[in-house]
Amino acid sequence: MTNNKNYQKTLFTFTGWFVSLLLFFPIFWMIHTSFKTELDAFSMPPSFFFFDATLENYGIVQERSNYFHFSMNSVILSFGSTFLGLLIAIPAALAMAFRPSKRTRGTLLWILSTKMMPPVGVLVPLYLIFRDFKLLDTRIGLTLVLMMINLPIIVWMLYTYFKEVPHPLLEAARLDGANLWQEIRHVLVPITFGGIASTFLLSVIFAWNEAFWTLNLTASDAAPLTAFIASYSSPEGLFWAKLSAASTMAVAPILMFGWFSQRQLVQGMTFGAVK
Amino acid sequence: MDTTTSSRAIPQKSLADHFEDWLPKLVISPTFLAAIFFVYGYIIWTAWLSLTKSRMLPKYDIEGFFQYGKLWTNDRWLVALTNLGIYGTLFIGICLGIGLLIAILLDQRIRAEGALRTIYLYPMALSFIVTGTAWKWILNPGLGLEKLVREMGFENFTFGWLTDSDMAIYTVVIAGVWQSAGFVIALFLSGLRGVDDSIIKAAQVDGASLPRIYWSIIIPSLRPVFFSTLMILGHIAIKSFDLIMALTGGGPGYATDVPATFMYTYTFTRNQIGFGSASAMVMLGGVLAIVIPYLYSELRKPR
Repeated sequence: MTNNKNYQKTLFTFTGWFVSLLLFFPIFWMIHTSFKTELDAFSMPPSFFFFDATLENYGIVQERSNYFHFSMNSVILSFGSTFLGLLIAIPAALAMAFRPSKRTRGTLLWILSTKMMPPVGVLVPLYLIFRDFKLLDTRIGLTLVLMMINLPIIVWMLYTYFKEVPHPLLEAARLDGANLWQEIRHVLVPITFGGIASTFLLSVIFAWNEAFWTLNLTASDAAPLTAFIASYSSPEGLFWAKLSAASTMAVAPILMFGWFSQRQLVQGMTFGAVK
Repeated sequence: MDTTTSSRAIPQKSLADHFEDWLPKLVISPTFLAAIFFVYGYIIWTAWLSLTKSRMLPKYDIEGFFQYGKLWTNDRWLVALTNLGIYGTLFIGICLGIGLLIAILLDQRIRAEGALRTIYLYPMALSFIVTGTAWKWILNPGLGLEKLVREMGFENFTFGWLTDSDMAIYTVVIAGVWQSAGFVIALFLSGLRGVDDSIIKAAQVDGASLPRIYWSIIIPSLRPVFFSTLMILGHIAIKSFDLIMALTGGGPGYATDVPATFMYTYTFTRNQIGFGSASAMVMLGGVLAIVIPYLYSELRKPR
């Protein structure tokens, strides 16, 4: 009986790892190929261990299309839009969590509903406005758009975190004579810091990955890494090693971010339905 | 009428109190207005444009619904709709199936589950552009999978879906499932963890078998997870633009066009703003048909 159970458990573990291998393989393959020469990248059967690891692809990519320009844009856009979004969303989420009214839930759902609309529905007017105000291919314009895109998620996540703060705690602080600022500074922030940090992380990841708007509203000056990869994706696929290097550089920050924010990722992508 | 300083039996609200009342509304309104105007306002604008003869420059004389009429006689649009149907159904169906199955396997408390879960989530943390690019290579007949299998000795192996206009849409399904399946697994897994242990124990005491417990108790209790997963996958499917752009570019020809890429092509590369807007409005109608019942049920749900 115990033997059978052990056997079963090993089988399940094996299946689990097999699936993870399938899921991770393309990512692994991409990183792996980025260290090969173009010639090795095509050699069949693929050499897993015996190849001359090279960094030349990274050098060529940087030389050809100035990776740092694009990554700088990615950093500015994703962090800028996130800071801006938090600035607007934190007071709003606080108000909804601590001064709820009959309409709070409705308001929140309306805000969230915008996230479900397909972006093509708002693309044309936005494009026209950007064209008239000379905002196309500017960092400011794109930062504002990315902020708007992520605002519903930011508000929703912050709201769910703030709502969990026990009210008696705040009342106790108030009874002890704390004013609003002290209440925020010494009670609220320490408790919700983790929540705000996760929201921040998630918003950065989303903004980083955003491709629809960056492809449509930028050309080169404000183009982030998603546009950079798209520009590398030649139809012949002859530069696979270089393309891999470019993709690896584009996703590396996210892979690291993702490791620290797995829970928040699920929570954010499900609009807080799953904790 | 100095109400703040005069002492009365019924205290009036002070200025500060009024401010406190208004403050919440004041701080919520930017978000609310931004979200509503930014999306719904622009949707109305798009709707207006869809009724005009706008080409490269917007015109605002309403001409009626002729753009919509044109849409339904456009072969490319019908292909795009069919593709969305195929892609949406298969993508959602396969993701749900795989997600539930693997989640149940993982729920048996296997070793190193945390690390596995993170790996499962990784694809979802990547941009669809990266996914599309990676799979474009893997599925390329001359470079990826086909070449690999042939080199292994199966000379007649062919896997040319990417360049076959009848099959290309299924490559989009493969890439889409790869990206989202792990996420669905994670969703179901946390749903499974939320199932009340005592009910399961009671069923075990009553002598129910494990498959039976899953079928009659656990899976039905996952209904809310099913529902929200369906919503999320549905809206990923409808919004899928970047994946298709990176993987097939809508090709070969326009064999893998979906409404989003169709709209993009007509609005920006063919400069038919009015026509593109009409197609966007039809898409919106489709989304609303999904979202409105959802919002309605959520609003009615007592908390």
